[in-house]
Amino acid sequence: MVELALIGVFFVLLFLGVPVAFCIGLATAVAMSLSIDWLAAVTTIAQRMAGGINSFALLAVPLFILSGQLMSSGGIAQRLVTFARSLVGQLPGGLAFVNVISCTLFGAISGSAVAATSAVGGVMVPAMEEDHYDRDFSAALTATAATTGLLIPPSNILIVYAVASGGVSIAALFLGGYLPGLIVALCLMVVCAVYARGRDLAGVNIASAPPIARSFLQAGPSLFLIVLVIGGIIGGVFTATEAGAIAVIYALVLSLIYREMTLKDLPEILLRAAQTTAVVMVLVGTSIAMSWLLAFQNVPTVVADALLSISDNPLLLLLLINIVLLVVGSFMDMTPAVLIFTPIFLPIATQLGMSPLHFGIMMVLNLCIGLCTPPVGSVLFVSCAVAKTTIERMIRPLMPMYLAMIAALLLVTYVPEVSEALPRAFGFYQ
Amino acid sequence: MMHFIAKILRLALVILMGALVLSVTWQVLSRYVLDQPASWTEEAARFLLVWVGVLGAAAVSYSREHLAIDLLPRRLQGRRALALRVFIECMVLAFALVAMVIGGSRLVMITWELNQLTPALGLPTAVLYLVVPLSGALMVLFSCLQIVTLLSQSEPHLSDSDTAMKES
Repeated sequence: MVELALIGVFFVLLFLGVPVAFCIGLATAVAMSLSIDWLAAVTTIAQRMAGGINSFALLAVPLFILSGQLMSSGGIAQRLVTFARSLVGQLPGGLAFVNVISCTLFGAISGSAVAATSAVGGVMVPAMEEDHYDRDFSAALTATAATTGLLIPPSNILIVYAVASGGVSIAALFLGGYLPGLIVALCLMVVCAVYARGRDLAGVNIASAPPIARSFLQAGPSLFLIVLVIGGIIGGVFTATEAGAIAVIYALVLSLIYREMTLKDLPEILLRAAQTTAVVMVLVGTSIAMSWLLAFQNVPTVVADALLSISDNPLLLLLLINIVLLVVGSFMDMTPAVLIFTPIFLPIATQLGMSPLHFGIMMVLNLCIGLCTPPVGSVLFVSCAVAKTTIERMIRPLMPMYLAMIAALLLVTYVPEVSEALPRAFGFYQ
Repeated sequence: MMHFIAKILRLALVILMGALVLSVTWQVLSRYVLDQPASWTEEAARFLLVWVGVLGAAAVSYSREHLAIDLLPRRLQGRRALALRVFIECMVLAFALVAMVIGGSRLVMITWELNQLTPALGLPTAVLYLVVPLSGALMVLFSCLQIVTLLSQSEPHLSDSDTAMKES
């Protein structure tokens, strides 16, 4: 009964267009009022919301949002594109590779797939069209490639997972995200290579691209942010949260030097970061309240028993979990999906012999696919707007890209080493 | 008046966000520069996060930038679209009023009576939680205003509310 009310209220409100955080909060309030006194229920929700946000690990989120927004200016996107162009531009289908690499790098630095889509897409989609690439293909490619940046640190969604899982180290997750992120990018490049061969698309004239050394010098300071953050964490100089503050200071100094902003713009940028933080934190707060109710109702145990009664084959069960997450990801934002479904699926995954680190990387990669899946995919809509096309027209070029991402997902799911090798090599994982 | 409240709210957010960055930065600096890590920075920063997150939600409510699936609202037109937008505002209002204002106030009262103090700063925990009813009250205010605006906008255009909605 409680579960039915929870699911029913949530979906009806979500479909009607009520903001997601309020759907989660209202569904939790209604369902909880069915099992305990309503006043106690709303007090618990208020306490879970504020108490859930009150976490040192989550503090990294506003900091990386701020540093990402400081680094999201058009100038930095342009420099990254130029760098990628001198790197791979002369290959057949070069501009498509440039798009993938720029999206990955920009997504990693800005920590936002939406920002990467609009910044890189704004530069690359017109450039690719000029070079006879199909505009719908370019739009689809930008959307899918932009999500890879979410796996490459700094990554806010990995921080949210660290909180949801109750204790996987952020440093281990950050290191674990590199290879899977790069693998997705490589899989997408395979699609590009096949596309370019089929259409006989040549590379960019090498003379028109600047020499690698010079373009690297221009893009280097922005790229150094990734090195600074992860280097400091690996070296034990600062924690992941503190790395966020260092990233903010670095990004601030950099954008002042590059004259992307002046100190007068600072209040406006702080406000924007605070509001983006609030959007995420309300989702975190209400999701934690819902997750508490689910635990209170013993839902994780029930789901685990049900799943394990279907089969005891780990390969099959992991496939099943992935399919559920793909569906969840296509209509739910990543943050609530991670906070609500980690407590449900993680115990099953560990029972199947999967490490919490490995599960987290798999889940985030899975939900990245959801970001560019209709009906809801936020990244898809932005890409659609940037390229002035429609979702319907993007579906066809998206198909091979989904296949590429799902291939990467299967690799990450069934080969633990992909996620665990790097953290282990640096001693952040036993 | 509403504009004034929103302005104060935004100013508060800028200050809180700035303070958050500074306190975490100071945590790193004090460890390496002063050789003696400050003990209050972590707790202060966590408090600021709660305040930025929850109070910020009111500001986001004001500019209506909360994440939502707008497939249905975008498809509807005219009076139906208006009715749906009023309904959505009512849902936001309901959550803000019941969970944040009522639930939040009760939470503040309980922690106040228990006289809970935070370990490092010695602040009453009630102060931390105070942001929940405060932000909730602002959201109720903004939602009411939005509902009034929506309804009054439509009144003179009931016959061709379609165009009125497109303009808004």
